Amino acid sequence: MNRVSIKEQILNLILLLLVQLPLVHRITLFDKSFGFFYVGFLLLLPRTWNRSYLMVIGFFSGLLVDVFTNTPGIHASASVFIMFIRNFWLNIVNDDFQELTNLNTETLKKTGFIYFTLPLIFIHHLLIFFIENGGFHLFWMVLSKVFFSTIFSGVIIFVINLAIAPNKRRA
Amino acid sequence: MQRLLDFLYQQREIAVFLGLEILSAWLLINFNNRYNASFLNSSNEAAASITQTTNDINDYFQLSEINEQLMLENEQLQQELRMLRSEKLNFLDTVDQYRVIGARVINNTFERAENFVTISAGVMDSVEVGMGVISSFGVVGQVKSVSDNFATIYSLLHPKVLLSAKVKRTDTKCTVQWDQETFDRAALKYIPRHIKMKVGDSIVTSGFNSVFPENILVGVVDELHLEEHMTFYEAKVKLATDFTSLYHVFVIKDVMKNEKDSLEAL
Repeated sequence: MNRVSIKEQILNLILLLLVQLPLVHRITLFDKSFGFFYVGFLLLLPRTWNRSYLMVIGFFSGLLVDVFTNTPGIHASASVFIMFIRNFWLNIVNDDFQELTNLNTETLKKTGFIYFTLPLIFIHHLLIFFIENGGFHLFWMVLSKVFFSTIFSGVIIFVINLAIAPNKRRA
Repeated sequence: MQRLLDFLYQQREIAVFLGLEILSAWLLINFNNRYNASFLNSSNEAAASITQTTNDINDYFQLSEINEQLMLENEQLQQELRMLRSEKLNFLDTVDQYRVIGARVINNTFERAENFVTISAGVMDSVEVGMGVISSFGVVGQVKSVSDNFATIYSLLHPKVLLSAKVKRTDTKCTVQWDQETFDRAALKYIPRHIKMKVGDSIVTSGFNSVFPENILVGVVDELHLEEHMTFYEAKVKLATDFTSLYHVFVIKDVMKNEKDSLEAL
């Protein structure tokens, strides 16, 4: 339980971050919800890793996505912020599992996983859309984008994790 | 002293956090809205070739739609050709000024607050920063940055793009700028109140700068407001280019740009 599962991290890296890059603008529902599911890769990095490293990983992952969306700095800044607050939030959500290392639907339980991911995804998307918008004009339109995108990204991350987790149990 | 060092060591995470956020802010300010050849955007060779591969796969599913567009375009060209032949206009001097470079769209956004188009033509095809881009239906945007084989374009759906245009019927100069609301309409600015405007008037490019030739369709006036106290109309244009289905575009190279610019700089 306490060892970092490298296999799981690599699966997350491929399925959540690398698959995102060419798809970053191709999965859009109803012109409103954008699936920025790469944030799942960041959220599920091992809890025991040093937070400074986590923020550096967050910065470069964000920058990689930025190259594909023509927005240098936006995804990077939001991702660094998410990595900064992730462990605080994790401690609030489940203090029962302080020794928990690997984060997935199995170790956090399904409801715990949702409580943990959705608010952070919401904050991440809130930052991205408002920085991109460059201010608070069109407030409700942007907020609705944030809301629907959060649900969309959340569902994709949850489903991908469900798909990975059972395999691990069988192995 | 020891306690001070300890304190700083404890706060190193905050320092890393602030450092990275400042770096992001610097990138945001320096690279986002500038015409450049920076590697931090979608015309980056590596990023663009990945995008192109996914686009190639995607294209197979849209072949019929692309075919239909090409047929429509062919039809229009045929018609124009016949018109030109019959009228025998003395058209040559304006034709010679512009060269057209065809390109395929490999990435395109239209739902974001700032939109860009990536095309598969670059320095090798003599595309340069600042050139105008049109489709067979109307204006698309302006080149932002170029790499060897790809270029990133400011879409007309980018609030920083100010397009110099005119009302075709009255020759009134005006400006088209996207208002970030919907991807098929943009705001039409600076038409003075003494001009008699109608819904349905065509808006075309003015040709005053060397980005676009004259008389390329931008859109059709869709909404008009004029209150007592206003000096200018408040109007909306329905854009001629359908940004949701953009497959082929043409980059416009103004052969006489240097000559014109150096003359105006005197």
